[in-house]
Amino acid sequence: MRRTLAWLRALADNVSAALLAAMFAAFILQIFTRYVMNDPLSWTQEVCVTAWLWLVLWGSAFSLTERDQVRFDVLYTWVGHRTRRWFAITSAAALFAGFAASFPASLDYITFYRIKKSPTIGIRLDVVFSVYAIFAAAVIVRSGYEVWRLLRGGRLPEERQTDHSEEHTGVPTI
Amino acid sequence: MSPAFTLCLVVLFGLAAIGAPIAHSMIVAAVVYLAVAGQDLGLAAEQMIQGIYDSFIILAVPLFIVAANIMNEGAISDRLLDFCKAVVGRFRGGMAQVDILVSLIFSGMSGSAVADAAGVGKVTINMMIRSGHYSPGFAGAVVAASATIGPIIPPSIPMVMYALVSDASIGYLFLGGVVPGLLMTLVMMVLTSWIAHKRDIPAEESVPLRKLPGITFGAFPALLMPVILLAGIYGGATTPTEAAAVAALYALLLAAFLYRSVTWRSLSNVFSESAKSSASVGLVIGSALIFNYIVAVENVPNSIASMLDYLDLKPLAFLLFANLLFLFLGCLLDATTIILVIIPLFIPACRALGIDLVHFGVVAVVNCMIGLITPPYGMLLFVINGATGIAVSAIVREIVPYLLALIATLLLLILFPDLTLWLPRQFGYQG
Repeated sequence: MRRTLAWLRALADNVSAALLAAMFAAFILQIFTRYVMNDPLSWTQEVCVTAWLWLVLWGSAFSLTERDQVRFDVLYTWVGHRTRRWFAITSAAALFAGFAASFPASLDYITFYRIKKSPTIGIRLDVVFSVYAIFAAAVIVRSGYEVWRLLRGGRLPEERQTDHSEEHTGVPTI
Repeated sequence: MSPAFTLCLVVLFGLAAIGAPIAHSMIVAAVVYLAVAGQDLGLAAEQMIQGIYDSFIILAVPLFIVAANIMNEGAISDRLLDFCKAVVGRFRGGMAQVDILVSLIFSGMSGSAVADAAGVGKVTINMMIRSGHYSPGFAGAVVAASATIGPIIPPSIPMVMYALVSDASIGYLFLGGVVPGLLMTLVMMVLTSWIAHKRDIPAEESVPLRKLPGITFGAFPALLMPVILLAGIYGGATTPTEAAAVAALYALLLAAFLYRSVTWRSLSNVFSESAKSSASVGLVIGSALIFNYIVAVENVPNSIASMLDYLDLKPLAFLLFANLLFLFLGCLLDATTIILVIIPLFIPACRALGIDLVHFGVVAVVNCMIGLITPPYGMLLFVINGATGIAVSAIVREIVPYLLALIATLLLLILFPDLTLWLPRQFGYQG
């Protein structure tokens, strides 16, 4: 089970990295064809924004650990262990409720776009936008599992950082 | 303010306070708002998807992240260090001066303070500590303070974000950062040399002048990077987003072919790490777009503007007040959150008071960068702690003089808008 999860996570990381690489390559191609060949391609811009949308939501769903997220943890680290547990349960429960409540409406919005295709490549837009549903589903499953786990006395998120976290400082770049 | 919006704010700040990720908190707060206001809950998804899918300029953010990570991976920073050592190593507190100069040059290539601190900053910290003349706390403080120059000198990731929420021109914002960035560098170098005199920190062994041409030649391709970037943007050849891609490509070519320091493996690491940072920052951007939609629907900026009108604030008093607030929030919040969520609330008021949006943007970004080194929540302090193991408290003790110097610089920038606006005007800015 644990090995399968690690393998899936590595796969998800590779997908994120590949999306970023694809975006970068498409961008370079766009610049090259516009400024060097003087004959710009029309589809590169769309590849860029599509890859970017997928990178953000796919990466947030599967590649980011607890520590990679932007959060305000001054209060969280200041309070005692018991309070922390309640903080973690409350925030996971709120995420579960918020994302679950809006899931059907989000799905409606996405499937509405099955009638439209993207302007240059012609992919159906419901397919392009479906990554939001994947992201929302991942949040629902993760936070639901987290509530269940913490209520049964499982360890707090920051105590579980033993695997794969290497030297990653877990901060976004600004 | 409607009850729905009040509840939305309570949920947002409540969730964020107990440690939920900021981006997720904004989405949940938005859903609560939509539910109470009786609107379609799918609007949250719509705003986020359309916001990310439609805004082309924001693509500069992941590209600048890739560029910075490639430069850190390659031997580019080593060549630059040799060059800076040859130029300012001969002065008192030489290694600290080298760090500040290398930060300045690096800031012309990367748009990220965190990348500067975690990359070349980590190297200079080790060199300072190894020399035995610098305490770890002081080394960490110099690197943290000098890394704040990174996003002030163009390119700049936070300025791209500010441009997104304010509709100010990225090109003029970038130009507006040049003089303030140089001013910050000068102030920190003077301060460092004063501290070095007081503590009797010696100079580095001075590099003979005849070696200088060779060292400059070795660093030349790296030194050329800011020139390519800026000439591309201001020569009108490329957009800032395209310039970001060119910067990343140039860094990649240098590292791969000239310095031969990048392997397939390290390259895949660069993309993997950059993808994580991009996703994390992209999600905050996307969620902030939902939140900004609600703020616009609720007409919050106009209420703030009319309130300021009522208070009859002069532009300068408004600027000082806003900056005090940002400094305070900078102690507690992440810079991304301040730029994307808090600053948009002030932009209509700026317009109403006739404050130039490029001036306001540069000042606000300088302010947020100061926020990166103020405890308890100072991202750069955490990054240096994570990368080198120097205790945050040790850095904080030594950073106070730098913090004061930077705040004094900020005050100068607020009082004299020409410091920021002079260069953009030379390039045709009508502000």
